[in-house]
Amino acid sequence: MQKQLKAHIDRLKAAGATYVDARWYPVEEANYLMMWNGNLKETTSSRESGLGVRVLYKNAWGFSASSDMSNLSTLFDKAFDNARVAAERVTFPVRLAEKDAIQASFKSPNQIDPFGVSLANKIDFLKSMDEKLNQPGVVQRASEMMFVRKQIVFLDSEGSEIEKNIIEAFPAIQVMGVDSSGETHSRKFSPDRLGNTRGWETLDIQLFNENAERIIRELNEVLVADPCPKEDRSVILMPGIMFLQTHETIGHPLELDRILGYELAFAGGSFVTLDDFGKLRYGSEKLTARADATLTNSPGSFGYDDDGVPAQDNLLINKGILVGAITGRQMVEEANAKAKRQIFDGSSGANRATAFYRVPIERMTNINIDPGEDGSLDDIVKNTEKGIILDGDKSWSIGSNREQFHFATEIGWLVDDGKVTKVVKNSTYKGETVKFYNSLSAVGDESTWVVHYVDNCGKGQPNQIMQLGHGVPVCRFDNVRIGE
Amino acid sequence: MKEKILQTLTTLREYSLSKGVTVAFIYHEEDSYLMRFANSAISLNTNEHLIRLEITVYDDKRRASYEMITDLNKLDEMKQGVDIAAEMVKYAMPLNYQPSIPHINENYADVQGYDPALGSMTGEEKLAYFNEATNGLETDKITLSGIFTSGTNILAQISTKSEYTQYFQTSDAQVTIVLAHTELKWEVTAEQSAHKKDDLKPEELHAELSFLIDRYKNEPAQQVPVGSYDIVFGAAATAEMISFMNWIGFNGGLMKRGFSFLTEDHVGKKVFSEKFNLTDDPSRLETFPLTRDSMGMPRQAFPLFVKGVFQKFTWYQDDADEFGAQPTGHSVPHKSLVLDPGEMDLNSLQDLVKMPKDKDILYIPFLHYMNIVNPSKALVTASSRFGALLFKKDGSVVIPYNVRVTQSLLDIFGDKVAWMSKHQTVYNTSSSYGARNPVAIVLPKFIRVNDLEISHSNSSY
Repeated sequence: MQKQLKAHIDRLKAAGATYVDARWYPVEEANYLMMWNGNLKETTSSRESGLGVRVLYKNAWGFSASSDMSNLSTLFDKAFDNARVAAERVTFPVRLAEKDAIQASFKSPNQIDPFGVSLANKIDFLKSMDEKLNQPGVVQRASEMMFVRKQIVFLDSEGSEIEKNIIEAFPAIQVMGVDSSGETHSRKFSPDRLGNTRGWETLDIQLFNENAERIIRELNEVLVADPCPKEDRSVILMPGIMFLQTHETIGHPLELDRILGYELAFAGGSFVTLDDFGKLRYGSEKLTARADATLTNSPGSFGYDDDGVPAQDNLLINKGILVGAITGRQMVEEANAKAKRQIFDGSSGANRATAFYRVPIERMTNINIDPGEDGSLDDIVKNTEKGIILDGDKSWSIGSNREQFHFATEIGWLVDDGKVTKVVKNSTYKGETVKFYNSLSAVGDESTWVVHYVDNCGKGQPNQIMQLGHGVPVCRFDNVRIGE
Repeated sequence: MKEKILQTLTTLREYSLSKGVTVAFIYHEEDSYLMRFANSAISLNTNEHLIRLEITVYDDKRRASYEMITDLNKLDEMKQGVDIAAEMVKYAMPLNYQPSIPHINENYADVQGYDPALGSMTGEEKLAYFNEATNGLETDKITLSGIFTSGTNILAQISTKSEYTQYFQTSDAQVTIVLAHTELKWEVTAEQSAHKKDDLKPEELHAELSFLIDRYKNEPAQQVPVGSYDIVFGAAATAEMISFMNWIGFNGGLMKRGFSFLTEDHVGKKVFSEKFNLTDDPSRLETFPLTRDSMGMPRQAFPLFVKGVFQKFTWYQDDADEFGAQPTGHSVPHKSLVLDPGEMDLNSLQDLVKMPKDKDILYIPFLHYMNIVNPSKALVTASSRFGALLFKKDGSVVIPYNVRVTQSLLDIFGDKVAWMSKHQTVYNTSSSYGARNPVAIVLPKFIRVNDLEISHSNSSY
């Protein structure tokens, strides 16, 4: 197949294309199981294969994809024709940042291939979890696991040929209960990425059992708790919500396509401008954020992106100052040209597509916050006069330029005079992004830092779902409005 | 093509019967095209032709599914899919209820929503549409973004319960145009939905955008104080809220699982304003309807709210099986929601400007990134976007920076509703992350709701 793909790439190059690439998925498999209140509601497997072709012609992109590989000529020609039409309306010529031609392969680290584990074993795991979650106070309980295996072959007209074999596992449990006023509350758990691998071995039954007990206990505390007060407090964000705060207000606003206006018709823009790089005080000096696609155990690590650029570890925010972005080959060239200065030295290797039938766009890798020097969670609590600890994402809504946000969390613990005083329900907080990060007053040490995965990040038109990770510590922000 | 698809399904059914396997098949074929604009250029021009086959095998109370992206020439691969699902079901755990198996009673085909002219629109035609809709409106500082997506969708079904098939074919288009100021960062939008090519009227979008651009270029902008406002919601904003109501409101399965603000006690009770009449009406072609559900059940107009009184929950077959409810014909990828018009004769933004005001009125055309803060209370939050206006009592117009609304749907559609426009529009809410699934809501162009709280107000665009 690679020979045929190369031949078609060469054919389109000879016909005038500036650049051509092909992403062939010989196989992508998924396996999803979900048990709800003892019922195995989902036992689903899926398999797909196909080819996506991207053509750059007269400074414009065309893309075509099909699961039917029997007529490659038509597929390549369609992509070329789409580029030809797009070339009728070009305002800024598409240029691609330099990269090396790479012949390589990448395999995600796994000890046990989840696709080699029997369905019976997987169901046993879910059944065990379901029984564990069936406790007083719990009226709804759900256990689920999703496994993904992708084989991707990438070839381009610049001589790259890369094969990736990626396996991911996404297990989770959730419990729900109803309080005396009839309101539903929930707590959930999905394991942080503790080891160095990404296979079946990450489903640690003991870890799940411990956390099942914890979330049931916490749910029952929420069910009898007072509502979250409406007032200003310091918020102490546990990794279970800090990952989402990072995702929505550091990750998305720093996607370079958003900054350059490529998502205005749908996902939105960014409050960040090209002038801000190297200057904007995004947060306090305690804030250092990075896009690290080299973590071994996270779905945000993939070896090479869908431009064929190697995965990297790049600073985004250095001691509070904005220094980097999430980029692919096209956007860095455009940004440098529009800014009339060299902001970016090259692609940061973050151009990814969710499937063979979608075009690659700037996607988060692992957007992490470096651990700080403010000790453990206990240390931070001890040094907080009037605060609230928040955990568990319940709801999130962000302004179209990522300039402001409103989050709801599953649980809150009020902190007064350095001590945890009580649990509250319906906890929320809101803020303005830059003001919020500049109020960052404490960053937990490595003991608080964990990698949390995201398996459902949506972006783009046609829509795409992407998997990634966030390594984050406990963080405290001051003077934040809660309870609205 | 239809014959080949149905023959393939019939062959797969016969194969399943020969293996002694009880199976239901859902075939989905999409031919999708999307032209995307950014920074006044075509940033992407793409098409995808994909065939998906969902195979669900039943063994008494056990059930397992295998889904594949395939093509019609790969019959052996599809048969392997049956074998895999049949193997999986052996290990599935029995449900504690009896799942219903789709049983189609007669051959049924519905292609009334298919317009070949729409499904086969060329890239050149789409570009011409955009050029007309934005003619003269772009400048060096005001740039065009947007999408023109169109496609053809085929859904076909069979099961081993009968030899009969169901077949649906629709065409659809969704257009979004955004004009944004590159420095000031304001944005205005106009959108259109089409189920046939004649629905596409670029001149209407041009008129809408011209009006908004004129306002945004010439009227003062300001941060409005947080507090209580009378708000006129545009169709996009209302459609977003109705979509959320579809999720956390009248879905029987989610109600049983505690994710609804409605309970069984609400049936027959007044929940919303008397002006609120919402129906699931599969006779409205603008909504890309499915006139039968995946169980073969004919779908009729299904009143959800009449004069604000909640009528009944909708049920997916599987939820109905689990909770002992009567199925309602809602085992479908999407409903066909229609919100009745009101009596206010307002057909355009120009009409809204001319209307005498008893007080300042905030116009919010679009709600960005809505999410559910508390499903039990129908509490949602979102930010305004795309062309908001503040109509002052004195007749002047101010451009408000974006604001956040955190309110309960019970308040928004409750007794605070002042009026609804007697003119309806179709708002396309399609946003499929997987298979193409065109969906639109028919609703009044404008709804005024008094005394709603703005909880945050931006200090700039």
